[in-house]
Order: sequence, then structure tokens, then C-alpha cells
Amino acid sequence: MSGDARGWRVALVPDTLINSPNRIDAALPDALRVLETSGYGVLQLPPPGGHRLLLAVIADQVAEYAHHGYAVVAIGVRGEPGDGLHWRHLAALLRRRGVALLPPRHLVNANVDAAAEEQRLAAFLAGYDLPAEEQRHWRV
Amino acid sequence: MRCAARWRAAEVATGQRVEDGNEPGAPPDARRKVALLANCLLNQNAKVCQGAHYPGQVTPVVEALRSRGYLLQQLPCPELAFAGVRRWWAVYEQYDTPAYRAHCRRLAQAIAPLIERYVRRGDEVILIGLDGSPSTGVRFTSSRPDWGGRPNRPEDDWEVVPRRGIWIEELEAELARRGLPPVPATGWAFDMGRFDEAGSRRDLEAFLDGREIGAGSRDDESAAP
Repeated sequence: MSGDARGWRVALVPDTLINSPNRIDAALPDALRVLETSGYGVLQLPPPGGHRLLLAVIADQVAEYAHHGYAVVAIGVRGEPGDGLHWRHLAALLRRRGVALLPPRHLVNANVDAAAEEQRLAAFLAGYDLPAEEQRHWRV
Repeated sequence: MRCAARWRAAEVATGQRVEDGNEPGAPPDARRKVALLANCLLNQNAKVCQGAHYPGQVTPVVEALRSRGYLLQQLPCPELAFAGVRRWWAVYEQYDTPAYRAHCRRLAQAIAPLIERYVRRGDEVILIGLDGSPSTGVRFTSSRPDWGGRPNRPEDDWEVVPRRGIWIEELEAELARRGLPPVPATGWAFDMGRFDEAGSRRDLEAFLDGREIGAGSRDDESAAP
């Protein structure tokens, strides 16, 4: 795919990590900035509530990535319902779409050292990708 | 701003208040700024092959919005969910089918409740689309009525015409069906042929800062063709 800059890596991210009311007072890490530095694209999950149709639409997109050589991870928030990811519901939707390997989850902690949490997140993001053979198959 | 006045009127009319998710440090009922973002502005992997200019986020857009205190609401990508990550390039006319419009309406129905919640609450909501896109174009879309068949077109032989893309048309129609006012909108000029990042950044910042300066006195500056 010459001339194309995509990173082939996508992160599912809770609304609360993107639009956190607590981000400024450093109760949560600045996940968007870490994801940008790490070269990940973002799929935003809705805040808590129903959103069943939107979750189905998001699952359609995740399945499409998972089936075509993209690395997909999920960044949750420890202690939030469903990790902030609607995880149980989303996992069921992904299985129904034939996603055999669910995205690996990394949970960030709120109300601890946000800088340390950012480093932990960056290390997780840097350390994950598809096996080299799969990358070669798809990413040409 | 007439639009803002209408939003507040809508809030009064419905009596709906949503108190969660306030901007940092803001009182619970403060009016927030919310940007609806084309999916690929947060995720370049959604772009058609050879269309990605960044690994992940479109950094200048995200920076411009966050530095001005906007909350971000990503829209679904209609093309990726319909034709897949390995779709061919296409123009407005190729996506202008009943099936694709029905798909866009389903996506609009999926995201509209979140948008409606912001608007009813009295938040200032704007939309940043993708100019030149057949789906997500705001001021411009790509057009070539004779595209079709074997995909062997020479490069860049489509035209850019002043018109919404199909996804934006259907999203705006869904918001109107819900009785919501038009959302002020502009497009990041990605799919206009040669991509000019500095020019696109100036254009976006002028739109955002024009809203700040003009607050209280301006009409809907949506650059509808």
C-alpha cells in the first residue's frame, strides 16, 4: 500500500478516557496522547447506557479490522462497569461476527500516578502486534 | 448565535438535563463544546487504501480541538462498515444507492441519541467532516458520474463539487427528524486531491476561532454548498 501511512493498529477506547472530567486533575492518564505517540487509531466506545445499535455498528468495524490483518486492542478503566468498554456485550457481538481472538485488554487505573499509568499503557501498546507472518500476509 | 439560542430553546422545551461528563473544572450545568468527528480523524486505518496520511489520529485536528476545550464524539465510518477495509476508491454517484443510504440511516440512528443528548443539554455541538469524501464530505464531495466497472481509472480524474457526502446528508436528515437544529460544520480537506496539511490546519482553526469571536452574534456558519 505505497504512500499510505496507516499504522495497522487500532484501540478501543472508553468515552471516559477521551472526554474524562478528571483528566486535567491527573486522576486518569491522557490515553489519547499516548495512543497518538504509539501510532494507534482510536475507536471510541459510548458512555455507560444502552447504545445497543451503536455497539453493533462498532462491532461490525472491529470484526472487519480483525479479519484483515489489523491489530486491535482494548483499553479499559479498572472499576468502571464493563471496564468502560461495554465488554461483555461487545465480546458477545464480536464472537457472533466470527472474531476468534478477542482484543487483548489493558486496564488503566484511576486516581493513581497518571504518569506511571501512561508509561504502563505505552509499554502495552508498543509490545502488541500481530505475528510477523500475518503482518507480511496483509500489510503489503 | 441563532443556532445556540435555538438549542437552548430546545432544552427549555423538553426540560431535559444531562448532568454527567462535564468539562474538567466546570460547574455541573455548564455549557460544553462538543466536536462530532469523522471516524478517520481519530482512526486513519478507516481510510481507503492509499488514503491514510497518519498512522492513527489526525494529530492537528485532535490538537486544535482539545486545546480549545472540545469534547470529542467520533462518528462511525459508513464506508468501512459497508464495503470493508479493502474497498475500492469510489465517488459520490457510486455510493448514491438506496442500500447505502439505508445503511447510513442505520448508522445515523445509532449515533443520533448521543448527539441529541448533547444538544438537548444545551451544549455547543459542531461537526468536522472530511472534505472531498463521497460519504463524509461537508463543503465538498467527489463526483464522477461515469465511474464504474473495472477499476482502472487514471489517478485523480474525479471532480470535487460543492456538496455534502451521502453519510453527512443522511446524518443531518436524522438529526432534523429528531427536531434538532443544523449543526455548524466544516470539513478537514483530506480528499481534495493534493493534501495540504498547513492549509487545512489554518482553515480548521479559522472555523473554530471564528466561532469563539462570533459567539452571540453569528448565524449558523455551516458552509453548506
